[in-house]
Amino acid sequence: MKAISFLILFLITPYHSFDEVKHEYYVSVTNIEYVNEQQSLQIISQIFIDDFEKLLQERYDETITLAPDNNKTNIEKYMERYLEDKLKLEINSNPVSFKFIGKAYRDDIAYCYLEVEDVSTLKSITVKNQILFDVFPEQQNILRIKGLGKNKSFLLFPDNDNCMLNFN
Amino acid sequence: MLFVTANTFAQNEIKPERKPGHTNQNKFKQLYDEFATPNMFRTGSGAPGPAYYQQQADYKMDIEIDDVNARLYGNETITYTNNSPDELTYLWVQLDQNMRARDSKTPLINSSGIGPATSGSRAARTYLKERFDGGFNIEHVQDVNGGDLPHTINRTMMRVELPKPMKTGDKFSFNIKWWYNINDHVRDGGRSGYEYFEENDNRIYVMAQFYPRMAVYNDVEGWQNSQFWGRDEFALPFGDFDVNITVPADHILDGTGYLTNREEVFSKDMMKRYNQAKKSYDKPVMIVTEDEARKTEKTKSNKTKTWKLSAQMVRDFGFATSRKFIWDMMAVKIGDKDVMAVSMYSKEGNPLWEQWSTRTVASTLKSYSRMTFDYPYHKAISVHAPMGMEYPMICYNFGRPDKDGNYSDRTKFGMISVIIHEVGHNFFPMIVNSDERQWTWMDEGLNTFVQYVAEQDFGEWNPTALSPGQDKYPSRRGPAKNIVRYMGGNQDYIAPIMTKGLNTYQFGSNAYSKPATGLNILRETVMGRDLFDYAFREYSNRWMFKHPTPEDFFRTMEDASAVDLDWFWRGWFYTTDYTDIGIKEVKKYAVTSNPNENGKKLAERYNMNPNDLVYFIGEGDEGYEVAMNSSVAMKDLPTVKEYIMDNFTPEEQKAMKKSPKYFYQVTFDKPGGLVMPLIVEYEYADGTTEKVTYPAQIWRFNDKEVSRAVASEKEIVSITVDPDLETADVDTSNNSWPREVSESEFDKFKNKVKN
Repeated sequence: MKAISFLILFLITPYHSFDEVKHEYYVSVTNIEYVNEQQSLQIISQIFIDDFEKLLQERYDETITLAPDNNKTNIEKYMERYLEDKLKLEINSNPVSFKFIGKAYRDDIAYCYLEVEDVSTLKSITVKNQILFDVFPEQQNILRIKGLGKNKSFLLFPDNDNCMLNFN
Repeated sequence: MLFVTANTFAQNEIKPERKPGHTNQNKFKQLYDEFATPNMFRTGSGAPGPAYYQQQADYKMDIEIDDVNARLYGNETITYTNNSPDELTYLWVQLDQNMRARDSKTPLINSSGIGPATSGSRAARTYLKERFDGGFNIEHVQDVNGGDLPHTINRTMMRVELPKPMKTGDKFSFNIKWWYNINDHVRDGGRSGYEYFEENDNRIYVMAQFYPRMAVYNDVEGWQNSQFWGRDEFALPFGDFDVNITVPADHILDGTGYLTNREEVFSKDMMKRYNQAKKSYDKPVMIVTEDEARKTEKTKSNKTKTWKLSAQMVRDFGFATSRKFIWDMMAVKIGDKDVMAVSMYSKEGNPLWEQWSTRTVASTLKSYSRMTFDYPYHKAISVHAPMGMEYPMICYNFGRPDKDGNYSDRTKFGMISVIIHEVGHNFFPMIVNSDERQWTWMDEGLNTFVQYVAEQDFGEWNPTALSPGQDKYPSRRGPAKNIVRYMGGNQDYIAPIMTKGLNTYQFGSNAYSKPATGLNILRETVMGRDLFDYAFREYSNRWMFKHPTPEDFFRTMEDASAVDLDWFWRGWFYTTDYTDIGIKEVKKYAVTSNPNENGKKLAERYNMNPNDLVYFIGEGDEGYEVAMNSSVAMKDLPTVKEYIMDNFTPEEQKAMKKSPKYFYQVTFDKPGGLVMPLIVEYEYADGTTEKVTYPAQIWRFNDKEVSRAVASEKEIVSITVDPDLETADVDTSNNSWPREVSESEFDKFKNKVKN
């Protein structure tokens, strides 16, 4: 199967990107794709730079600024730590951890690339996605799981931060 | 008993399944069903009709700002003119601040949840703090003789009963007295309010929606009294404003309109500098310097001053006031008139603001005037505030360096872009006054499109504003490829542009980027700049100082260009379809006069002498190799040569096109729903390329697949659809022949990190 990953949309820009101060929707998008040929789960999480910056400042270090990064290694360490806390994955009912490959900035979005290797069989994926719920109670996270011919989207928010997809 | 055997049942016939009937689903169907029927108010050509009317609302106001309590007191006389053919028995007045009233329903229409942890300040603000009471306190609504007028408040809309019905041409005046607590727009949000600075206990007020104002009454909506929930913006009639604003004597104030008592409120120095600024076309002149502002903000005057502003033919009124303001101005020539470009900002905005704000205002006015009409007002102001919002002649823009004066590219270009965008709003919707409450995209989309043009101009005219390595302005919205992420994304969270803003997800992409990108595609690819610019200017001029609807825009663009655009509006504005066009198959053919078996059979079938025909043999079919190797140019085939010699005059023979040797049948397919022109680049063996654009109408008979026969004297080595990414194609993996096997986004990134 050709590993075509569609980049999922980006959503409401943070408040100061167009004429509206209070924006009612905060959204992030996480794309999880199972690539059979490589036996790995490829994850790309798209988070608004402004929202992410605010989160990192509040949670870890108020001097952090993103794009340009004022301390690249630390920033990536914090991002990795945050995602490890907030994005919990189970494959075939077993918790797995991912490798933080890196991040890139494009326009107002931070793209975080994560990977779970050595996934030889895929029966089910369970995801708990709490990205940015701790800073924005109005935050909603779109999660798309793709693999073995299946493709499903989920909309997660603070009182519903869990989802699962079976591949049987 | 009579046995009758009848062969009653049919032999096991398989009846062909008959498809049900259907309505016209062709993507090129004209938009008769979707558009309102043309009438005397709005014509079929998209122009105001002979019976077009619009109402007028004039305001005389006395306003006072209580700086100690952050409160605004106001007293106004509204004079409303009924130009409609209808009789009105009541008027609707907008009370926008009521969406911030303590009992406002706005917070109740959003989803909310409980997260496992939050910060102390957030917990306190969300659960403990009494809600800010920011609604209007209406003291009275009276006629000009002081008699009370019955009125009913439905949250953000107030109905005032008219003592007697208004007929066509009637004018009615009434008074409203009110006050309200001004909101801290940084903490609580809003498109106006104050920002508080702890340093010297000061505020910067950026005011708007501060007065009860008339709703629009028109031929399309009747009264536009849709509630202000906070997202969709405003629908407002035109009129004249005379506003007297009393503020602390050490404040600097500017707003919509002419400052009619300048001599009273300006110092001698300020007057001198102002007169200088009026003649300064190449750089801004400081009316109030940073040093002066730094001094002023340290103390507080307990005297007051009244600033008098007067504006004609505006749809709204905004003003900004603060003792922290630095003020600079510059003149810019628009047409044969001078317009003043003005900026107001506090020291927190420097050094960025003094460098670029006023210059950006001036550049914007020039670009927008070229695309639409000469800016008709006398000034345009850009005020520094952590938001982005527009009012006639004044707008509020973000862009703040850190406390050491450092700023990133993101901050710099963010600021320049927002200033361009907000100043641009003077044109859409302040002057081309569309109904924002219903159609956010009509001003935001059109404005974001012209913003892109203005940004590119700005980059060209101000190369020093660009960062090293950039050869043009880094516009985020505009180019077709930038909308691919949105349009190719999850369909559950996309709505058509023709949807009321309140109800859409992804508001920004939906109402701003997508329409802007659509217009850019029309300009660069479908219509071309000449035809587009002419039609766009025609629309702007037809509806300048009037109220257009979407149809008026759609109709005008066609009316003035002779380019059929219904298919484009239908796909781009009314659906969430996306573009995906690719190459399905390329079949090569060799031409010969020696038929293979099939060729002979074909000749026989049509009773023709096989030697009289010209044959195309496809790659893989019998005889292809032989034909390919003998490689004779078409004009040299015996039958063709004979025909030429017998039928072409010597002139025609001389003028013959180059004889093709290579023949291809290229099949293009269109997995995406949108119709777009088919842009194809052919690359030849000698390295040259040729770009051919097949008009969108190529898809009119088959929405999914079309073929083209391509004859060429040079061998084609590759074919690419949409090589310059002009059509917002969401998947370019099928755009090339031979098919390019490209890495996934993820693998590309991973390999980059490894190296």
